[in-house]
Amino acid sequence: MLIQALLIGIWAGIAGIDLFNGLTHIHRPIFTGFVVGLILGDWQTGLIAGATLELVWAGMVPLAGAQPPNVVIGGIIGTAFAILAHQDPKIAVGVAVPFAVAVQSCITLLFTIYSPVMHKMDNYAVNGNTKGIDRLNYLGPIILFIFYFIISFLPIYFGADKAEVIVNALPKWLISGLSVAGGIMPAVGFAMLMKIMWKGSYAPFFAVGFILAAYLKMPILAVAILGVAVAAYDFFMGSGKSDDGDKVKVAPVNDDLEEDYSNGI
Amino acid sequence: MASKETINRDEFIKNDYEDPTVEKVLTKKDLNKMAWRSLLLQASFNYERMQGGGWTYSLLPGLKKIHKNKNDLRSAMLDHLQFFNTHPFLVTFIQGVILAMEENKERRDTIRGIKVAMMGPLGGIGDALFWLTLLPITAGIGASLAASGNIAGPLLFVIVFNIVHFALVFGLMHYGYNAGTKAVLSLKESTKKISRAASIVGLTVIGALVATYINFKFGIKIHAGSINVDLQKGVIDQIMPQLLPLLYTFFCYWMLKKGRSPLTLIGVTVVIGILGSLFKLF
Repeated sequence: MLIQALLIGIWAGIAGIDLFNGLTHIHRPIFTGFVVGLILGDWQTGLIAGATLELVWAGMVPLAGAQPPNVVIGGIIGTAFAILAHQDPKIAVGVAVPFAVAVQSCITLLFTIYSPVMHKMDNYAVNGNTKGIDRLNYLGPIILFIFYFIISFLPIYFGADKAEVIVNALPKWLISGLSVAGGIMPAVGFAMLMKIMWKGSYAPFFAVGFILAAYLKMPILAVAILGVAVAAYDFFMGSGKSDDGDKVKVAPVNDDLEEDYSNGI
Repeated sequence: MASKETINRDEFIKNDYEDPTVEKVLTKKDLNKMAWRSLLLQASFNYERMQGGGWTYSLLPGLKKIHKNKNDLRSAMLDHLQFFNTHPFLVTFIQGVILAMEENKERRDTIRGIKVAMMGPLGGIGDALFWLTLLPITAGIGASLAASGNIAGPLLFVIVFNIVHFALVFGLMHYGYNAGTKAVLSLKESTKKISRAASIVGLTVIGALVATYINFKFGIKIHAGSINVDLQKGVIDQIMPQLLPLLYTFFCYWMLKKGRSPLTLIGVTVVIGILGSLFKLF
């Protein structure tokens, strides 16, 4: 168990760095679930648990600076729990989310603590010390790696065998209830996406997508390709011109650096 | 931190250069190197300057090559170390434009103005294009494969996602650099059209995802005398399959609109699941 916990810790550290740096998205549950499954010797359960957790986090992306529950820890702990405690991946969602929320508040704290480092960078800039700026920029990912390593190593090393006992002691209605909730949970993610993107004039496109999948049982990829075709038609017909209340904020062109552009990350 | 004493920026940041010679010094190799460094854009992320540190870090090789005068370099570094935040997949476009301007020794306030004017719209476009379109689509397709135990799911996701990701990071660096200041104008014209097209694809896919991936059905049978009716199969499926997922998604949307946090909704969902299974509704 020690070796597996160490490997999962290292993997969590790498995925944790990728969440903010590199952004190759190997930190998404669909990939981490598979890797954790390989480490624990059951890649098939890992695949399925990863897929379930991926959908829960579908809409939980960093929008306008708001940090969602931590997707790295959610995916890794959720999958490890599903495999080690021999539970349905849907139940793992109920375990993963509270954990992920706690971790994210730690990350928020880290971003606050890192603010004074910028003043150090200012000093390096004044002295022309470019190597110093480089070093301070490398320090961030190192801190993240250590943080994620500890956070995922501890529960796997100490709690794996206990997890199954705890789950077995739980009443049946609670377990099946968590499973039902895990099945419904993607609705929250989709609603978050809609909150950002929804506009009355886009409702027909949403309806078309829903109808194709619900009544005609069309696969997602087919619906996506159709969506691209419709969007391309719309783009070249130029109907975007009459569109004023776009969600995309166009920044006022001025030199005021104190404005808060809280997009990105 | 020991270095709390504030630096008088006005003393160091000058609009004009001590060495104003314009010279094309950046090679394609330099641009690629800076595109690689842009992957660490958020390495020193913090709530005060956000990506300011990582932004300066990724520009450093170019700035050092362009500003051989020490005071000019200091002025440029301090200027770039201020607040910066945009979408990490589109940042190299801004870098390309800014590097072209630095090389041309434009006034510092012009460079700063262009930088600040570009980061906002690109942040918004990036959110719409990547977090709300590319990621849900690639991850959705990958997850549907993985859910049936297919190993291609995670691999396909990572490969397709990164082909788009790295093509953008490197392509936009060169495109931005070549287009220089002209690029800013062409961007402004199509911002809205691009984001509209992305929203159309995104919402079509979300509609399909709602119908496919939310598992919310009644399991209860209604006893009316000697007749048993399965509420889900006998009634709801005849009207509209996946009616419950649709209604619940709009309920969540409405709650979010009212300012409830996603965490509240996750809590509500857990309670509904537990109560529903306690009373054998689902």
